Order: sequence, then structure tokens, then C-alpha cells
Amino acid sequence: MILPKDIEQIINGFDQLNYVLDKELATILFLLLKLEKPLLLEGNPGVGKTEIANVLAAMLDTELIRLQCYEGLDVSTAVYEWNYQKQLLSIKIQEASEKSDVEKEEHIFGEEFLLKRPLLKAITAPKAPVLLIDEIDRADEEFEAFLLELLSAFQISIPEMGTIKAVHRPYVILTSNRTRELSDALKRRCLYHWVNYPDLEKEIKIIEKHLPDIEPQLAMQLVNAVQKLRLQKLDKTPGIAETLDWARGLLALGYKELSVEAITQSLGCVLKSANDIEVVKAAVMSGEF
Amino acid sequence: MTQNPHHTDYSNIPEAILAFGQLARFNGLNVGVQETIDALEAAKLGVIGEKKAFRFALKSIFCASKEDIEVFDKIYDWFWGYKKGGLKSKTTYKNRSNLQKKSVASVVMMGKGESKDEGEESKNVSGANRIARLRKTDFSKIEEIDSEFLEELAIKLWQQMSLRLKRKMKFSTNKGRLDLRRTIRSSISHGGEPIELKRKKRAPRKQRLIVLLDVSGSMDKYSFFLLRFICALRTHFESIEAFIFSTHLIRITDYLHAKNLVLTLAVLSAKADNWSSGTKIGECFKDFNERFAKQVLNGQSTTIVLSDGLDTGKPEVLETELKKIKLRTRRLIWLNPLKGMKGYEPIQKGMSAALPNVDVFRSAHNLDSILQLEELLLSV
Repeated sequence: MILPKDIEQIINGFDQLNYVLDKELATILFLLLKLEKPLLLEGNPGVGKTEIANVLAAMLDTELIRLQCYEGLDVSTAVYEWNYQKQLLSIKIQEASEKSDVEKEEHIFGEEFLLKRPLLKAITAPKAPVLLIDEIDRADEEFEAFLLELLSAFQISIPEMGTIKAVHRPYVILTSNRTRELSDALKRRCLYHWVNYPDLEKEIKIIEKHLPDIEPQLAMQLVNAVQKLRLQKLDKTPGIAETLDWARGLLALGYKELSVEAITQSLGCVLKSANDIEVVKAAVMSGEF
Repeated sequence: MTQNPHHTDYSNIPEAILAFGQLARFNGLNVGVQETIDALEAAKLGVIGEKKAFRFALKSIFCASKEDIEVFDKIYDWFWGYKKGGLKSKTTYKNRSNLQKKSVASVVMMGKGESKDEGEESKNVSGANRIARLRKTDFSKIEEIDSEFLEELAIKLWQQMSLRLKRKMKFSTNKGRLDLRRTIRSSISHGGEPIELKRKKRAPRKQRLIVLLDVSGSMDKYSFFLLRFICALRTHFESIEAFIFSTHLIRITDYLHAKNLVLTLAVLSAKADNWSSGTKIGECFKDFNERFAKQVLNGQSTTIVLSDGLDTGKPEVLETELKKIKLRTRRLIWLNPLKGMKGYEPIQKGMSAALPNVDVFRSAHNLDSILQLEELLLSV
């Protein structure tokens, strides 16, 4: 794996993978790679937090290991679990063998019976992977405490096997939607970055990157409209994915510019709540929008 | 402090970074030794060559939240920018420490002050009778001499209540799933036959509680006690979000986490400059829906509104906003202190607009009425 030498290289690398990266985030990613500290990304839904990890893994040409957090996430789904069926079978098979109980026990707690879940996988990977811990705010506080231990020592202990140390430190990216405040201890171990919605210029660039065929005028109008929508108080503020969906939708419908008809016909691509659609439609019809 | 430190005061970059770390710490950012080392490390990596990159690097290392970023931007400009005059205003973080000093008993009582020497008088009433009487007394009619005693009693009872709630949740699931891991382990000694079945209890599901407390003028007498009630709940409910509102809405969850109740109340009363003024319930709920609802309401939460429903805004707004809250919450409980009054009917415009969306409508005018909430919270 070739680590980028400077910030410019990161920007270029991301650019080749169709991700428009600003200088600030590039600097932080550079530090993430050099200091080997986890990065905590916070921001509104739909600003491309998860995508950053995806692209980083692609750029480094390494594996992306993803752990999606949810309420009640526990060690057996996040770290490891024994393969019980296989263990039971193995015990049966060994019944007739001459082995002692101790040997039998040792056998069924060998590596072949271990099911590696994302965190253990990340630690034992032969090449430093990108570990994405998505929506950490949705996990319980107990899990956060466990994670704290993992992120400082990069080792996991399994009572039946002993301690497993990281071969290569994974590059860790955590994302949070801020449904609750994370503990100070966890935050202190991480670099921090707040991801904003892209500005007009950046968003147009993003559209053009993904949809090179789009008419510049349509892209301009479209992004303008989305930026305006974001300023409104909507139930669900459109993210970058929605902008892209909308652009694709308009292209599929064969529109060359954003007319009233085009908007009303394709609003479902960008707004995902009946209430929002109603409000915006009314505004468009009356010419306010 | 008249003059801020400036990077030109230091002869080399590492020293300046150290000084900047200190300045950041002084302004409330969580900057320890590790952060400073990281900053120096980052400087060594060459990000210092370019002004912007250096700023971004320090920002990601020194900040831990969106709010931190604001503070950081300010002090960064002071320290690394062109030399200008001193600070215009002290940061909010400094105010916090001022408050700490101010948090003497008089603030805590929030205007109830001038407590008389009560020792003599209270001897005349026998303990048990007094407790029974106080539990039934409307909060607004409590006399000065009783208020302190009631406060103690209230805290004790409410804490017992939330402890009971917690226990009930723990033991409610008694059997649980099979624990294959431990079953297999123990089966080895039986030649692989899983004779002893080991079971795993389901971890108690944490319930999320959202409290919206009205602190407007009409609620003045009650809001003080109700706030204490929220604090008591906080000690035993892991996941509670609290807001106060009158003309606008303030999130107070962070202040409830403080161990020191005295300090909490002092901070809150300082924060709520609108404490005890007119009420715009509908507008505040709208604000809540726009800013917080998506994050704090998860469909399984219970929402409690503590308000008398005397709204000076439009009832239609209240109705639509409450409907929105109702859609995102499992149960909506409205506690109205006025309901404890004889002959009270929820006929004011605000209250009657709200009622169709409310699941439970109760009073909360004295201690007993609040203690009766226990069974409600139990079935969450």
C-alpha cells in the first residue's frame, strides 16, 4: 500500500474516485493516515460521511470493514462469536477419539471455530484496512466504553484463546448523527471534523463529476434549487445523494432545464416526505420558488 | 487579563503551539498533553508550511464538537492572526466558572428567598401529619416555611420512585434466550450432551424519556418543583432529554448531567432569561420539531409535557405541532398543574386544541399527583 505523501496527493486520489474533497478534510485525512488516530465525523444526514470511508479505502486499495451501530449492539455481533453448530458437531465426532478432555476443549476453541465480526476482522487483517464505525451515537454507552479500550490498545482479548493484538493498525473512521452526545473520553481519542452541506460551487462540481453528460445550465439550476430547499424548514433536508438522484431523474425524463413542469414531475427524487412535497409544490405553482 | 498571548510573543513555533494549547485549554477546549503532542507531531509532518492546512489540522485535534469549533475559530484568530487589541468579550466558557461562584442558596431558591427562621415553628407540627399534609398541598399554596422541607421530601420520594422503576425494568424479563456459548462449554464434561441449559437474560431496554417543561409566568410556582422532579428522574433514567420553554425553547439536558443540583439550577435560571414571562407553546413546539425532534424522538420514546396550557399563540399551531410530536413518540403525556384545581375544565383554547393528541392527561400540582406517575412510567 502506498500512503499519500502530502495533502495534494489525497485530493487528487479522491478526485480520481469521483469524490470532491476540500482542503480542510484532506488535511485531516492526511493526519489520520500519519498520526494513526481515529477520525470522528459529525454532520447532518446525507452529507457523505460514510462515503468518505468508502473512497479512502478505495484510494488506499485496502479493505473497508464496516460496523453499523444500533441500539443493543453487543460484543457477539461486533467482535466475535463462536460457531456453535460446528463446535457441537466436533464434540460428537471426537466422542470416540482417545483425546483427553483438555485436548478436546482446546480443539473446539481453535481459530477455525471462531466467527470474526467486524472489529476482530479489522484487527487481524493482513493489510491495514479502513474500519468504518457507522452511527456510533446509536450504540449504547456500554459499547462506547468497550470501543474506547479497543481504540487505545488495538487489542481484543478472548477468554478461551488469549489476547489478539493488531497486526496492522486499522484506519478508523467513526460517524455520528448527533442523536446523543458522545463521551468526552471517546472524543478525546479522535480527530474531529464537522461535515457541512457542500456550497454551490462544490455541489456543482460533484454533480459534474458523477454525471459528466449533464447540461451545465441544468446542473446550475438544479443545485441552486437544492441549496434553496436546504434553507427551508423541511421535515427531511435533502442531502447530496438526493441531489444526484434528482439530476439522474431529470436526465432520464429528458429535461434540459429546470421548468415548473420538470420540478413538479420529479420532486419525489429530492423530497422524501409527503408534507414537504406538498409545501414545495404549492410554492412552485405560485411562483414563489 | 488585559492582553491575549500572541504567536509573535514566542521565539519558535513549538513554543507558540504549546502556548496556543494553553490558551485553548483556558478557553474551555478539552486540550490535554496528548492533544498538544499531536499538534506538535502534525507541525512536524509539514502541514505548517501552509497557513490553512495548519489551521485545519489544529482544529481537528483540539475540537470535539461543533460548538468547540466556534471557540476555536475565535482564539485561533487572536493568537495566529495579526496583532490587534485585546478581547472584546470573554467567552461563554468563562461565564460558567462565574456561575459556579454565584451558586449560593439564594439563587437556588429562585426568588423564593427571604426564608424565615423556620426552626421554631416547625416543631409545632408532628412529623407524620406534616408529611401527609404536604404531600397533598398544591405547590402554589406552599408557605415559605414548608418549602424547604417539601423540597427534601420531594427529592427523597422521587428518587425512591425512579429507583423502583429501574428495578422493575431489570427483573421483568425472567427467563430469556438460550446462551449457546455457556451451554456448550458446560456440555463438554457431559460428553457433548447439552444437559445443563444456560440461559441469557435480555438486557433491559433503556427507555427514552423526553420532558418539555413550561417555565412561563403562569407556571412560576410549579416550574421550580417540576424541575427538581426532572432532575430526580435524570439520576435513574439513562436516557432523558429535557427542554424548558416559555417564549422560546432551550435544551437543558446537558445541565441535568451535572452532579451538583445546586449548580444545575443556578445555570438554568441564568440561562432562562425568559424565565417567567409569556408563553408561546405552539411556537416553542415548532422550534422543537425543527431542531430536535428528528434526533431525540425515536418512535419508542415517551414524551411528557409539563404545562398549564395557557398559550398566547395560535391554537392551530399548537395542534399541528403536537400532532407531529405525537407521530414520532410512543406516548404523549400532558401534566397540567391546573387540573388539580376544583372545577377546572380544559377549555382554554390552547389546552382544548392540544387534548385530541394527548394520550394521558393528568395533574401535577402536588407531590402525590407526581408520585402517581410511577405506574405510567412503569408501563413504558
